[in-house]
This record gives sequence, C-alpha cells and structure tokens, in this order.
Amino acid sequence: MKKKNSIMGMAFFGPALVLLTIFLFLPMVLTLVFSFTDYFALNPELTHFVGLENYLNIFKDELFVQSFLNTVKFVIIIVPCQCIGALVLALAINKAAHCKKYFKVAFFVPVVMSLAVVSTLWMQIYSPEGILNTLLANFGIDAQPFIHNASQALPSIAVMSVWQGVGYQMIIFLGGLQNINPALYEAAEMDHASSWQQFKDITLPELKPLCVFVFITVTIGAFRMLVQPMVMTGGGPDHSTYTIVYDIYETGTVNWEMGLASTMAIVFTVFVVILTIIQNVLTKDKEGKKHGIKKAKAN
Amino acid sequence: MSFIEFKNICKRYPGSEKNTVDNVNLEIEEKEFIAFVGPSGCGKSTTLRMIAGFEEITGGELYIDGKKVNEMAPRDRGIAMVFQNYALYPHMTVEKNIGYGLKNMKLPADEIRKKVDWAIDILGLEEYRYRKPKNLSGGQRQRVALGRAIVKNQKLFLMDEPLSNLDAKLRVSMRTEISKLHRELGATTIYVTHDQVEAMTMADRIVIMKEGVIQQVGRPMELYDHPVNQFVAGFIGSPQMNFFDVKVEDGRVYFSDGNQITLSDGMVKKLAGRSGDMILGIRGEDIKMDAQNMDINDENHLHAVITDTEVMGNENNLYFSFGGTQAVARVSKYEVSQIGDKVDFVFMPSKMHFFDRETGVNYTELQ
Amino acid sequence: MVSKKQKRINWILVAVLLVLSVFFLFPVIWMLANSFKPDAAITADMNSVAAFIPPAPDGNFFDNYIEIITNTSFLRYMGNTLLYAAILIVLGIIVNGLAGYALAKINFPFREQWLLIIMMLLIVPTETVITIHFLIIAKAGLLNTILGYILPAIVNPFNIFLFRQVFVSLPDDVYEAAQLDFCGPVKYFFTMVLPMSKTVVATVSVFTFLNVWNDYLWPSLVFTSSDLLTAQIGLNSITSNENTTMGQTLAVITLVTIPVIIIYSLFSKQIVEGVTSTGSKEG
Repeated sequence: MKKKNSIMGMAFFGPALVLLTIFLFLPMVLTLVFSFTDYFALNPELTHFVGLENYLNIFKDELFVQSFLNTVKFVIIIVPCQCIGALVLALAINKAAHCKKYFKVAFFVPVVMSLAVVSTLWMQIYSPEGILNTLLANFGIDAQPFIHNASQALPSIAVMSVWQGVGYQMIIFLGGLQNINPALYEAAEMDHASSWQQFKDITLPELKPLCVFVFITVTIGAFRMLVQPMVMTGGGPDHSTYTIVYDIYETGTVNWEMGLASTMAIVFTVFVVILTIIQNVLTKDKEGKKHGIKKAKAN
Repeated sequence: MSFIEFKNICKRYPGSEKNTVDNVNLEIEEKEFIAFVGPSGCGKSTTLRMIAGFEEITGGELYIDGKKVNEMAPRDRGIAMVFQNYALYPHMTVEKNIGYGLKNMKLPADEIRKKVDWAIDILGLEEYRYRKPKNLSGGQRQRVALGRAIVKNQKLFLMDEPLSNLDAKLRVSMRTEISKLHRELGATTIYVTHDQVEAMTMADRIVIMKEGVIQQVGRPMELYDHPVNQFVAGFIGSPQMNFFDVKVEDGRVYFSDGNQITLSDGMVKKLAGRSGDMILGIRGEDIKMDAQNMDINDENHLHAVITDTEVMGNENNLYFSFGGTQAVARVSKYEVSQIGDKVDFVFMPSKMHFFDRETGVNYTELQ
Repeated sequence: MVSKKQKRINWILVAVLLVLSVFFLFPVIWMLANSFKPDAAITADMNSVAAFIPPAPDGNFFDNYIEIITNTSFLRYMGNTLLYAAILIVLGIIVNGLAGYALAKINFPFREQWLLIIMMLLIVPTETVITIHFLIIAKAGLLNTILGYILPAIVNPFNIFLFRQVFVSLPDDVYEAAQLDFCGPVKYFFTMVLPMSKTVVATVSVFTFLNVWNDYLWPSLVFTSSDLLTAQIGLNSITSNENTTMGQTLAVITLVTIPVIIIYSLFSKQIVEGVTSTGSKEG
C-alpha cells in the first residue's frame, strides 16, 4: 500500500514537479550561478567565473544605483498614499449610510483595468494638451509637462499607480472591518466609549495585522514597478523613471548580460524575501494575540 | 474453510508501541450477521477497515471466500460498505449515487436501470430519486447509502456504525429494516457498533473487543448469560450488571458492608474451591423481591432502602445502596416501591457470577 | 441605535464619497465618452462638461471602434488571448489541481517537505526568473510560439496551495466509497474532486483568466509575430502607431477592458472573496 501511495503521489504531483523544476527551481539555481559569472547569452562560450565582482560592480553602476533610488522614490510616494488612502476609503464606506455597493465598485474599477490600459489612458490624460492640463488651465495653472519632464515623470506615474491600486487594498480593509465582532462595539457602547475611542481602541487594534499585511504587499508591489514606466516613458526622461526590475529586464533580455542581470535579480529577491519575512514575523505575533483574545472570549 | 477467516490479524500504526488490533482469530460463515462491539478505540472499526482494505494489515492473514486478500485492492475484494457519515457523492442525485458503481462495472444501461429501480423501491426512495444528498434527511441519506451497497450484489456487506448519526426513534426503525434486508438478500454482514443494543437485536453472533483484543465471540444470549469476564458482563445489558466487592469463604459470601449470604451447592461446585477476594456480579432482573422467590431463599434475605426509581412502564428500575455500592434491581411493574421504602430482596442463587479481582475472569464460566 | 448626530455624519460621508468617486472615476468616464468621438471633437470638448459626455448617437457613433476592428488585427489579438487563457485554465486546473490533491490526500514520500517548498515559492518575485524563462524558451527554439508562451505559465505555486487547502477538507470516506464503486484515483479526481470543489475551481479559473488577459511582460518577450500577439501587446503596438488617433486609442483600451468587466461582474463574489482571503489569511 505504501508503494502504491508513492506511485500515485508522484503520478499526481509529477507534472507539476517537472514544470516547477524547469521553470522555477532551475531558473533560481541558474540565476544564482550566473550571478557569479560574466555570462553573456549571445556568446556563452566565453563565460568566466568572476566571483563577487558583479555584486561589487552593480553598486558602482550609476544606472543601477539610479534605478534603485528611483524605485525607492516610487515606494516612498506610493506606500503611504495607497495604504492610508485605502484605509480611509474603507472606513468611510463602512460607515456610509447609503450607496455602499456603488462606492465599492467605483473605487475598484481601476483595479480591473490592466497596467497597459491604465498607462495608455493616463498618457492621454497627462499629454501636454490633454484633459488634465486643460482643467488646470481653468484654475490659472500653466500647462505642466508631467511624464515628459525628468522631475515630474516619477511622481506622475506614482499618482497613477495609487489611483489604480488603492481599490484592491480598500476591499481587503473592508473585509477586515466586516470581520470585527459587532459585539465589541456594543460592549464599548455600554462602557460609554465615544466614536473616536471605539475607533482607537477597537477598530485600529483589530485591523493592525491587516495593516501590516497591506503595508508589506504594497511595498513589495511598488518595488516591482515596471510596466507603467515601460509603456509610458520607456524609463525616461533621462532614466528618471527607470526601476530595478526594468534594469534587470533590459540588462538580461535586451543587452543579454545575464550575469549582471542575475546579480541584480538576486539582490532584488533577497530584498523582497526579507520584507516578506518581516511581515510574517509581525503578523504571526499578532495572530497569537488574537487567539489569546478568542480563548478569553470562550471562557 | 469458512467464508471469512482471520488468522492472527494484527494492526500496528507506525510510531506506536502497541498493536491497535492484536492477534485476532475469527471465522465467519456465509450469510452470517456478525456485530463487532466495544467502546470507542477498541479496534473494531480498524478491523472492519482492514477487511475492506482501507487499512494495511500489519500482521497475520485474512481470507475472504478462500482467497488471501492482504494485498488485494478494496475494489477486488467483492465487498460493499455503508459508512458512518454515509459518504454519498454530494453532486449526484439519489439515482446516480446508487447506480454509480454499476456504471463503473460497465453494466448495460437497462440493467443498471432495473437494479437501481429495485433498490429505490425496497428502500422507499421513489419520491427522492432526483434529489441530491444535501436535500435529504439523515434517514433518507442512510437509505441511499444502503441502496448503493445492495445494488452491487456483493457477497459481503461492511457497515461502520451506520446508525450512529440518526435520532433514537429512527435508529430503531432502521435496525429492523437492516435486519430485514439481511434476511432477504442473505449477504454476509459485518456490522460495527458501539451500541450493544444494536448488536444484541440484529446479530447472529457478536464479537466483543477491548483494547484491540477479542474478549468473547458468541450468540447474543450466550454473551448475556455466560460472559467470560467482567468486561463483557458489564458491556452487555442495560442497566449494567451490578458488581460488588466480596469475600468468599466456606460457601459464604461476605459483602463489604457486613451483609452475608450462603451460596447454593451448584454455585459452590462451580467455584471449584476458589475463595478470597472476588467480584460478585448479578443482573438487575436477577435480584428478586416477589413473594415466591423470597420464600424459596428464605435464609438469604437482604434489606436496603430505595434511593431512586426509574419507571419504564413495563418494568421498574429500583436503585438502592448495598454492599458498599449503588445497586439496581429490575422488577415488574406490579411491584411498586417509592424512594425511602425499605425493601427485602434475594439474589437468584444460580444467576450469580464471580470474577477475579485482577484479571476479571468469570470463575463460574471456566468449565 | 444610531444617534441623530451619527446619522448626520453618515450622510456627510456619503456626500463626500460621492464627490470623491466622481473625481476618482473621471479618467474612466472620459475614456468611455471620448472613445466615440473624432479627435477634433475630443479637443473641442476638452474644456467643457462635454468632455465627460458621449456624443449623440448618429451614424458615426462607432467609427473609432469600426476603424479598429476593420483596419487592425485587434479582434484577432483578443481572440488569441481568449484561446491562451482557455488553454491555461484547463492545463492549470489539471496540473495544479492534481498536485494540490497529492499534497492534500496522498501519503507519498516527502509530502510535508514538498508542501513547505511550495509555500516558500510563493515568496519569490516572478520578475526575477523571467529573464531565465526567456533564455530557456529561446534555447528550446520556442520563441514566438504558443507553446513557448504557455509552458512557463502552467504551474503556479499559489494555485497548488489554494487547491491543497480546499482538498484537504474533503471527506476521506467518499473516496473509500468510490473505490468500492470501482472508481480509480484519476477518475475520482476528475469526476468527484473537481465537481465537489466548484468554488475553488471557479476562483482559480477567474484569476488565471485575469492574469493571462492583463499580463504584459511575458507576452511582450515571447511574441514578436503580430499573428500571435495578446490583446495587451497588440494594444501597445496599435496605440504607439502614429496613425492611430486619440479616439481610436481610447476605443482600443475600452475594448480590452470589456471582457474583464464582464468577468468581474459575473464572478464578483468569488473575486472579492479571493481578494479578502489573501488579506485574512495573513492577518
């Protein structure tokens, strides 16, 4: 029977395992191996082992450093706007007396649209003679270059990203709000807690694990910024919207410098994994506490 | 050779120190209705699942219809099974559920139809034919599960606590129905239950298990009247047999509260000279209070005060403190007593059992 | 009970949210309204409320759409994408579902370890292996083929994990009953497990469709022939063409969005559940 189970198990798991091996395990190993070489895909025979040279070089590479800084800038703008925006929207919609359903759909619509669609649409909106500049002109504001200017392009794309993404986290927060036991608010009402106290002492603590989750996923999402600048600005002007993943992608598939691209990929992956671990540690702790509360309630 | 033969069957789970089922030897004849009973965790379900082939047999040999089946796949063992939680296919109608096995046997459609119609008819499921399991009551689901088992015409039925999820009334009516089905179909049936009433009322023979070991195998009345040990005596029968810590010396029984009785010659002979600390067992209905029995055993009268009564209608259970424990007598409905009444009673001399304090062996059944 | 003051605040909230939602939706409304206009009208309307109102329906109402459909291969790109999505949904359910079932119910060697590995794979950002995928597909000579596009996208650790979580709670006795009804494990998977788990099958299908439909990076790498392009890549090649007007651009992106809107409105329950479960699972 044991033998039968092994055969059946591998028959069921096998197809996935083969594909996982070719398209996840192998690429991960190759990425790691390539990162220590000067592998040039168009001339693989000339590959040498270069040790940590790539790792030292990418941090001396002005373009990589710039793309890294750009990505950090994206993160700094997007993360607070999107997280706080989503939380505020969810709280407001949760309290709103009417039209809840409409609001949920309205703020979720941009999530539905693809990155390419949104980018194309906003190129039109941001265009020098576009609708946004026309509207601004009504308030006496001069035409802005937006994505055609090295100092405005990055914030413009960031604003668009927040617009597109905020609805997703809003739905997550709404789900979290609905999961809060209404008895908690009733109990607080009995204890004469004001609305603000209820928010501070019940809503926020109950949502805390979710906040950590949203914060980290939005951060990781922002670090992965690629398609928007790719479609809208091609990373420009003057590489002002060039991001880490864009750099990995171009170095690897346009310039064929797999060694260098792999090194960047490893650095990036380590970064993302660290963020995920931080999230797991933070939410695990909260979960324990939550169970504690549940137990206390049961008693 | 018997239809089913267990030869030193053992089951040990990996990482366990003990056998869950230990050295089971048993022969089951064709068309027999065998019930496995015992408290939960006694290994009865595991034994059934080894017969079905869902659990690996880790020791011994199992023969069904003359063939060794240790390594045989469940589907090839020629069995049908009714599961505790019915295990119906949730997305199929009653009709499809019952016919599924036949369809997989590649039977022609009209034959499937005929068999399914037959099962639906005898189980009274006609009006539920096109319903799915989630729209059926517990009893109806149980019938579908039975239907699924009977259509396949297998020679061996396995039933794993099939009535445990039904309410009391339905359980009684399903009991008769299953017995009837067994009489009509004549398939060998192995029935696992923790409920001794089910076993007593339905089975030709009962297998009582405890901690993986068979305690006794026999016809219901055999187990009731002649339990081989204290466990069997206590497990079979309701209310439970009364047990008293006693001392036996020179043909007399000394209870811990100072009461004593003289044993009959027959009983002294059965004890074959054994004496000392023992456990005396006697069933509630063998504690008598009527005038006739009181007269016959006039030197062994005992007295107690009724502390509680259970009026069942046809008979009454009277509870009283005696021999350092709480005892119960089952008396006819004409012998009315109330709490606080002082009563005289006698133990039927031939109906007493004496058990070893350590091993629980019934000395009176040793011959 | 909600106090009077509370009620008033709630109404103010509704008003604020209404205004906010209008601002929020203005790009989408503008896109829809102007996708029916010639460029001259778009520019002329720009400084008035008319910018957010579609033109009166006349004979030229659908001109931009007709232009796109007749003069470009856009419908074909949409068809391609639908086909790829269909293939990936079927293969994805089979491969990931079988793996999820094995991890949930079959006691094969190293099962726990495999499950752990699958869970760890959820962390790895896929962008980083995409260059290697490209290398593998290129070396295999599969660039610019449907197979080359499909192969790396079939297996998905998240879907395996999702299937496993659902399958693990399926009752074992149904499988045992099926065995006695002469139903083998493979047949059991397809005729019992999948129908019993309709919800997760639907969820995985919907998310697979959305992934395929909205994916940009991988198809942009694999496909160079215009015959095989997906809608997103086709959209980019059409809108970056200098001859494409603004109105046509808006019509194209509206067209791409329509199927997604349909899917969302049909499966909004599964999607919202899927989205909130990613949150509640972690939280």
